[in-house]
Amino acid sequence: MLDTEIKGPGYRIWCDASSRTVHFEGVLRLGTSEFKPIEELLDRVLADSPPALHLRMTELQFLNSSGINMLYKFAISVRKKSGTDLHVHASASIPWQGKSLPNLKKFLPTITLTLD
Amino acid sequence: MDGIIGDYREPTDAGPRVSLVFYPGAFPVKWNQCSATADFFAEYFAGVGDADLGEEAARRDFVGSVGYVLNELIENAVKFSAGGTVEIDAGVEDGEFVVVVSNQIASSSVDALRAKFDELVHNDPQELLMQRVEENAANPELSTSGLGFLTMLSDYRAKLGWRFDAAPGNPDNTLLKTTARLQVNPHA
Repeated sequence: MLDTEIKGPGYRIWCDASSRTVHFEGVLRLGTSEFKPIEELLDRVLADSPPALHLRMTELQFLNSSGINMLYKFAISVRKKSGTDLHVHASASIPWQGKSLPNLKKFLPTITLTLD
Repeated sequence: MDGIIGDYREPTDAGPRVSLVFYPGAFPVKWNQCSATADFFAEYFAGVGDADLGEEAARRDFVGSVGYVLNELIENAVKFSAGGTVEIDAGVEDGEFVVVVSNQIASSSVDALRAKFDELVHNDPQELLMQRVEENAANPELSTSGLGFLTMLSDYRAKLGWRFDAAPGNPDNTLLKTTARLQVNPHA
């Protein structure tokens, strides 16, 4: 897994290869097509078939419905591929996370979701 | 062509109220401007009105929920605008945040939208959301996620309504008004 970074106005997504963690930071309210590079980054990370993969959301203040769609679809990709345990680290004090992230379990029942 | 679908209600002057009009004919509205506008309304109404948002957690929930719902509504209005203005009219009354977002759409798209809104009000939003995401995953070329209204209904328990009227001054267009209502402090 390569170290990679995607940056835009008010947001940053980056991979830490050693801990197999993708970090999401800032405000992500983009159009569906603008989420493509982030989607491709996630797909590349999954293509390496790591035994475990972490998404850290605790610094992501806002995500719009196009971004939620991207996350849910990624959960489905992990389910279909099998062999990778997905861990999502979230914050209970960021409202959208407590409301929308629990749905991830419906798309990927084996997911570990931590809402601190 | 006129008509109402869902739980339609506009804000009144019973509480604090703010309206904003974009004239996008003169400039393109960008995505981060939708975001900034949504956040303005969320922060503004968190600081006025009779809702008890003294607790930090309640305030955070209000700002996050209003910001999410309004950002989705404004993104939709800008994305599907067929000309004319985009208007936002919001208020807090009777323990609810109430907003109507208005924009003109091409009249040729009304029948499809009507069917979509009917589906939303007559089915379980959780079920629809599950189906839609599985469809999106199976069809990666789709250009819209279709999750905006579904997440508002299922994750935010928003009450939604729509109204179609003739567009003033443009016989090819229809004026679409979308309303959303959120409980100000759902945990109180």
